[in-house]
Amino acid sequence: MQPGLWAFAVRRILFLIPLLIGLTLVMFLLIHIAPGDPVTAMLSPGAVANPAYLEQARKNLGLDQPLPVQYLKWLGNVVQGDLGNAYSFNNKPVLSLIGERLGATVELQGISLLIGILIAVPVGILSATRQYSLLDNTVTIGSFIGLALPNFWLALLLQFWLGVKLGWVKTSSAGIGDASFANQWKYWLLPVIVLTLPNIAYFARFMRSSMLEVIHQDYMTTARAKGLDNRSALYGHALRNALIPMVTVIGLQLPRILGGAVIIETIFAWPGIGMLAWTAIGKRDYPVILGITLLTGAAIMIVNVLVDIVYALVDPRVSVGSSGGGH
Amino acid sequence: MSAVSTTPTATRPSALETASLPPRKRFPVVARFMENKLAVVGLVVIVLFYIIAFASPWLANHPYDQITFGNRTKPPSAEFWMGTDRSGRDVYSRLLKGGQISLAAGFASVVIVMTIGTVLGALAGFFGGIVDAFLMRFTDILLAIPLILLLITAASLFRPSLKTTIIVIGVSSWPGAARLVRGQFMQLKGQEFVTAARAMGASPSRLMWKHLFPNALAIIIVETTLWLSYAILLEASLSYLGLGVQIPTPSWGNMLQEGQSELLYGAWWLTLFPGLAIFLTVLAFNLMGDGLRDALDPRHRRR
Repeated sequence: MQPGLWAFAVRRILFLIPLLIGLTLVMFLLIHIAPGDPVTAMLSPGAVANPAYLEQARKNLGLDQPLPVQYLKWLGNVVQGDLGNAYSFNNKPVLSLIGERLGATVELQGISLLIGILIAVPVGILSATRQYSLLDNTVTIGSFIGLALPNFWLALLLQFWLGVKLGWVKTSSAGIGDASFANQWKYWLLPVIVLTLPNIAYFARFMRSSMLEVIHQDYMTTARAKGLDNRSALYGHALRNALIPMVTVIGLQLPRILGGAVIIETIFAWPGIGMLAWTAIGKRDYPVILGITLLTGAAIMIVNVLVDIVYALVDPRVSVGSSGGGH
Repeated sequence: MSAVSTTPTATRPSALETASLPPRKRFPVVARFMENKLAVVGLVVIVLFYIIAFASPWLANHPYDQITFGNRTKPPSAEFWMGTDRSGRDVYSRLLKGGQISLAAGFASVVIVMTIGTVLGALAGFFGGIVDAFLMRFTDILLAIPLILLLITAASLFRPSLKTTIIVIGVSSWPGAARLVRGQFMQLKGQEFVTAARAMGASPSRLMWKHLFPNALAIIIVETTLWLSYAILLEASLSYLGLGVQIPTPSWGNMLQEGQSELLYGAWWLTLFPGLAIFLTVLAFNLMGDGLRDALDPRHRRR
C-alpha cells in the first residue's frame, strides 16, 4: 500500500463531482437543443391541440423558463437527493422509477457477466497454456466470431428459431411474473445467451493474452529454475498475476454492458433500465433521461476510479501523482 | 487511464536468437502481415466487399427500390436469390445497395472520428498543461455515457437520415481515439529525435505534423481499422432502432428492422442475409485490424 493512495483515492472521488456536473450539463444541452419537446411528444401524431393548452402544459413542467434556470433548479434538487418526477410513466419520482427497473437489468446483466467469466477464465487459461494448439486456435477464432456477431441479430434469429419455430422458449418477458419457478428459464434463456456470448469472447481473449504475458515473464523462468514444476508455477505464480488485469477489464466493460442493455432489453421487452432509457428518449422525458445518465455515469466513473486504485495497489510502478489521465 | 506498462525484456530477442534470425526483409510489416492467415482473409473479404459495393448497380438483378405487390414476402428462388420483402422488393439487390450505404456510412463516420480524435489528441498530448487537462476531462465525461445511449439521444434530435447518422456516430465516438493519439504523442515527444528537431528550431506545428504524427501513424491506422468495424455495427444498431438510415434507402441495419416483424411469420430470409453481411464485414475488419497491430508492433505478436 502506497502512502499517498488514500489521498489519491479521496481526491479522485471528490473530482467526480465536477465531472458529474459536466456530464449532466452535456446531456441537458443535448436534449434541449432538439426541436420538439415532451409536450408535443405526448400528443398522438396528427392530433391538433389548442396552443393555449400546450403553453399551459409547458408552463406546468417549467419548460417556459430560460435553460440556465431550468438546469440550476434541476441540479439544486439533485443535490437534495431529488431527481424530480417523470413527465410520463404516471409522473412517478424518477428515483423510484429507476429503482423499480434497476433490479431487472442487474439480474440479467449480472447472470450474463457471471456465466461469461466462469466460462471465459478457464478457457483463456487453457488456451494460453496450450498456445497454437487446436484448442487455442478454436478459441481465437471463436472469440473473433463472438465479438463480431451483432447481438441484436443473434437475438432475432434465436427468437425465430427457438421461440417461434420450435416454441421452446419465450421471445418476450411478458408474463414472466406469473410463470412458475420451473418455467422461468424459458424467459431468461435467450437474453442470457445473447448477452453472455460477447462476454465470453471478450474475456477469454483477454484472459489468454494476460496469461501469455505472465507466462513469459522472468519470474516464471526463475520459478521453474528453482525447481517448481510447471503446474505449480502456472497456478501458483502465473494465474494470480494474470487475473489482476482481468478484474480491471471487467470493470472497464461497464459502459458496454449498460449500453448493450438498451437494445437487448428492447428486443425482449425486458423491464430494465435500458428499456426505460429507450422509452424515455422517445417520449422526451427529460427528468428520466437525465436521471439515468447521471446514475450510469456515476457508476461508470466510480468503477474507473476503483480500477485505477486496484492498479496502484497491485503495481507499485503505477504512479498516483497525477490525477488520472493517460500514461 | 493508467495502464500497466509491459516490460520489453520478455519479448526482446536475446543475442543468440538475433543471430539466427533470417535476413531482414524489405517490407517487414507487409511480410509479417502476410504471415497471419486470418488477417489476410480479413483483408481479402474487405476488398471483395468494397468491390461488390462499388459494382452493385451491375451485380443487382432487380432495381433495389422496385415495389411489386404480387411478389410480397417470397422466399428465395431462382428469380429472387434472397427472397423479397413485404413490399415485394428484391432482397439481394437491396443487400447490395445497402452494403454500399453501410460501408460508406461506416467509412465516413470513421473519417470524422479519427480526424477529431487525432487533432484533439495531438494537441493535448503535445502541449499538455491546461489544454490537456481540459480535453481529457471532457473525454472523461463523454466516456461515462454509454455510447449507445449517447447515440440514441443525439440521433433522436434530428430527422434521421444517412447524413445525420454519419455525423452523430462521428461526433459522439472520438474520445477513445483522442486518448490513444494523446498517449502516443506524450510518449513520442520525450524522445531524442524530437529534442533534436526542437533544438534545430522546428516550430511546434512542424514538430507535431512532420515529426510526431508520422511516428504515431501506425497506431492511428490500426485504430481506424478497428473503428471501421465498430462504426458498421453502430450504424446497423441505429438503423435497426429506426434512428439511422431511413427506408426506402436500404442499409443493412434498417433491412433488419424491416425484417423483424416478418420474422414472426417465418420470413427468415429478411433477417438472415443483412445480419450475415454485417457479421462478415465486422469480422473481416477485426481480423485485419488485429493482424495490422501485430505486424506494426512485433512486441504484440505473442498475444
